[in-house]
Amino acid sequence: MADLLQLLLAGASVGAVYALTALGFVAVYTVSQVVNLAQGEFAALAGLVAISAVGGGLPLPAVVVLAVGTVVIVAAVMQRLTIAPVKRMTTLLSIILTLGVSTTLKAAMLLIWGAEGRGLTPFGGHDLTVAGVSVQAQQLWILGVTAVVAVAVGWFYERTLAGKALRACAEQPTAARLVGISIARASLLSFVIAGLLGAVAGVLASPIYFSAWDSGLALGLKGFVAATLGGLTSVRGAIAGGLVLGVLESLVAGYVDSGLRDAVAFVVLIAVLVIRPGGVLRQRAAAGI
Amino acid sequence: MTGARRGELPAFAALALLLAVFPLVAPDSVVNVGVYALTYGLAAIGLTLLMGLAGQVSLGQAAFFAVGGYGQALLVTRYEVPMVVAAGASVGLAMLVALLVGLPLLRLRGHYLALATLGLGIIVTVAATESSYLGATSGLYGVGKPAFGGRRYDSPAEYFWLLAPVVFVALLVARNVVAGRVGRALGAVNDSEVAAECLGVNTFRLRLQVFVLSAGYAGLAGVAYVHWIGVVNPNAANFPLSVEFLLMSVLGGLGSVWGAVVGAFAVELLDEGLRYGIPLVIPDAVGEVQLIGFGVVLTAVILFIPGGLHQIVKRMSRRPTPPTEDPTVPAEDDSPLLPRTGRPEPGTVLLEVRDLTRHFGGVTAVDGVSFDVAAGEILALIGPNGAGKTTCFNMISGVLAPSAGSVRLGGERIDGRKPHVFARHRATRTFQNLQIFRSATVRGNVAVGRHLRSRAGMLRGALVLPARGEERRLHERADDLLALVGLTAEADRPAADLPFGRQRLLEIARALAVEPDLLLLDEPMAGLSGGERRELVRLLRRLRAGGMAVVLVEHDVEAVLALADRVAVLDDGRLIALGKPDEVRTDPAVVTAYLGVDA
Repeated sequence: MADLLQLLLAGASVGAVYALTALGFVAVYTVSQVVNLAQGEFAALAGLVAISAVGGGLPLPAVVVLAVGTVVIVAAVMQRLTIAPVKRMTTLLSIILTLGVSTTLKAAMLLIWGAEGRGLTPFGGHDLTVAGVSVQAQQLWILGVTAVVAVAVGWFYERTLAGKALRACAEQPTAARLVGISIARASLLSFVIAGLLGAVAGVLASPIYFSAWDSGLALGLKGFVAATLGGLTSVRGAIAGGLVLGVLESLVAGYVDSGLRDAVAFVVLIAVLVIRPGGVLRQRAAAGI
Repeated sequence: MTGARRGELPAFAALALLLAVFPLVAPDSVVNVGVYALTYGLAAIGLTLLMGLAGQVSLGQAAFFAVGGYGQALLVTRYEVPMVVAAGASVGLAMLVALLVGLPLLRLRGHYLALATLGLGIIVTVAATESSYLGATSGLYGVGKPAFGGRRYDSPAEYFWLLAPVVFVALLVARNVVAGRVGRALGAVNDSEVAAECLGVNTFRLRLQVFVLSAGYAGLAGVAYVHWIGVVNPNAANFPLSVEFLLMSVLGGLGSVWGAVVGAFAVELLDEGLRYGIPLVIPDAVGEVQLIGFGVVLTAVILFIPGGLHQIVKRMSRRPTPPTEDPTVPAEDDSPLLPRTGRPEPGTVLLEVRDLTRHFGGVTAVDGVSFDVAAGEILALIGPNGAGKTTCFNMISGVLAPSAGSVRLGGERIDGRKPHVFARHRATRTFQNLQIFRSATVRGNVAVGRHLRSRAGMLRGALVLPARGEERRLHERADDLLALVGLTAEADRPAADLPFGRQRLLEIARALAVEPDLLLLDEPMAGLSGGERRELVRLLRRLRAGGMAVVLVEHDVEAVLALADRVAVLDDGRLIALGKPDEVRTDPAVVTAYLGVDA
C-alpha cells in the first residue's frame, strides 16, 4: 500500500510538470493551430538559467524571476522572428519551423552549458514521511505551485478581458478580428504565456528531474501527449492529461520495468489517437478553453 | 507536381557523370563525406516523398534508419545471411514498422504523425538500449565491408562507387512515383482532398503507401550505413539524426527528390565544417555541436526560401507560358455521348435516397428527403438558398455522413462511406465552390479523374516502362474530354490560370473522366456565358442520351425546367415537390417557397 502511494505521489509530481508543459502547448495551439515543438526547450532553458543564477549567488526569488523572464523574452522573440512573418501557416511549415527553433535552442544550450545534466538546489523545507511514504519538500513545491498556476490560468481565460480575447481568436478568428482583436498580438501573447508556463515547469522540475540541453525533447513529447489526452484545446483536459500520464508512467516504472518509463507516452499517444482522436479527457460541453 | 518533365534526361546524365567522377577528383576526406551524403541522402529522399506527396512529416526518420541498420547487422553477423538477402529483409522490416505506426496515424490530419514518429525515435532508442539481444548501449558490431566478385569495397572511393548506382536507381524510382499515377493523385489531394476523393482517390491508402515507402528508403540508408562503419548502436535512432535528414530534405526543396541528394551533400559539408569549426571558437564544446547550424539553417530556409534549392533553380529557368488561342467550339452534334457497355438500361433505378436527414447542432439542414434517380434521366434539385441542396449532395457523395436515412447506389448502401467509395460505384460530382487542382495543368486535372480507370500502383509506376503505355492512353482520353467542353487549346495551361467559368467546365470534364453512371453537378451554370450555357445544356442532353444519370443543383430555374426530366424542390431542408417540370411549376407549395407569399 505504501508502495502504491509512493508511486502515486511520484507520478503526480512528474505529472504536474507534464501538465504545465501541456498548458503551454494548449495556449499556443488554440490561438494559431501551431504545435510549438520548442515548448520542452523553454523548460530546459529556464532550469539551466536558474542553475547558473544560483551559482552566481542570487537569492531564490531573483533566480525564479530571472529564469522566467529570460524564457518569456526568448518565446516572444521566437514568435516575432519565426511565427509572425509567415503569411500562410500550414501544419507542415509550423512543424518544421518550430523544430528549427527547438533545435537551435538545444544547440545553444549545449554550447553554453555543456552536455552534462544538473539539478537546481531544492527550494527548501524538510522532507517528511507520512504513513510510510517519504515526501520530498520539492514535490510539495511542484504540486502546490502547479495548483496555483492552474487556477490562475483558468481564471485568466475565463474571467479577464485578455483571456476572453484569446479564446475568441481560437473559436472565431474572423469575428475576433472584426471586433478589433489583433490576431498578431494574440499570437504573441499566447507565446508569452507558453514561455511563462514552460519556465515555471522547468524551474520547479529541475531539483528533482534535472535540466540538460536535451531534456526538453522527452518533456516536450510528454507534454504534447498530455495535451492530446485532453483534446489539445482544453485547460482542464491538459492538466488532467498531465497527471494521468505521470501516474501511468510511475506505475509502469514501478511495477513493470523502469526502462519502459519513456515508452509509456508513445503507447498512450497511439492508443488515444486510435480510440478517440478528439481527446479522452475532454468534456463535450467544455469545448474550447 | 506537373506531369511533363522534358529536359530531365540531361539532368539524369549529368548527375550520373558527376557521381562517377566525384571520387576521382575529390580528396579522400571529401569522398568520405560524400559516402555519408549518399547514405543519408537515401533517407532524405524518402522524407521528401513523404512531405511532397503525403503532405506529412516524420520527425523520426532515424528510427527507420536504425531499424534497417540493426536488422542488417543482426542478420549478417549473427545469422550469416548473405548481404543482399539481408538488405532486402532489413528494408522490409523498416517498412513493416512504418505500416504498423502509419495504420492508426495516417487517418488523422495535422500534427499527429510528426509527434508520433518523434516518439517512435525515442522508443527505438529505448528498445535498443534495454535489449541485450541488440547489444544494449554498445550495439552490434563486426559488420564487414561488402565484397562482390572478389572485390572488397573498403576505401571511400570504392564504397562511393558501390553506393552511387544504388542512390541513382533510388532517385529514379522516387521520381517515377512522383510523376506517375500515385504522385498525381496525392498532388491532387494536397490541392483539394475532397475533390480528389470524389474522383476515386483513396487518400489514406496512398498516404500509407508513401509513408511505408519512405521508411523503406530510410531502412536502406541504415543498411548502407552499417556496412560502411561496421557498427550500429542506439544513437542511430537519435533525434539529431532525424533533424539532419529533415534538413537535407527541406534544403533540397519540398517535393524535389533531386533536391534531397543535393541537400544531403550540402548538409554533410555543413556538418563537417561545424564539427571542425565550432571547437576552434568554443574550445570546450563537445557533443552534437553541429545542431546549432542545423537549427538555424532549417528555420532560415523555411522562412526565406520555403521551396529550398529546387525553388531557386526553378525560378532561374522559368519561361513564360505562351498565350492561348480562342477556345475551339465543338461541332454541332446531338448524338449520344459516352455510353458504356455494362451500364444499367435507361429507366433502371441507380440512386435511392431514403429519409436523408442531417442536423448541425440544433439546426436540421436536411429533413427526411427521399427520391430515386434512374439511368438516362436528368433530375434537377432546386430550392431557395439554404434549402439543403448542397448538404444533400454532400451526404450522397460521402463528403458528409447523414444523421439518419440511407443512400443506395446500384442497390448497395453507401451512406457514411468515404467519397472514393462513391466514385468506385461509378458516381462522381462537381462542386459549387470550385475545387480545381491548382498546382496541376488543365490536362493534369482531367488525368486525376482517370485515377480509377488506370491501374499502375506504386510498384509499376516506379518501374516506369509498364506504366508508360497506360500514361499515353490516359492523356489521349483526357484530351478527348477536354475537346468535349472546348478546353483543347488550354490543355497545357496551369488550371489556376483559367477564368472562373472555364474552371467549371474543367471540373465537368474531370468528372466525366471517371466514366460515371451517375453525375452530380452542383451549380454547373454559375459563371458561364450564354454561349457556354447552351453548350453545356447540349452536352448534358447528349450524356443523357448515352444513358448517364445526371442530378444537378441549379439556381437558374428556367434553364433547369427546360432541361430536366424531373424536378425536386427543397425548402428549409424538406422535399416539398417532386415531379415533371410542368407539374412543379404550378405547384402551390413551390410558388410559396420561391415568392414567399401564400398562393
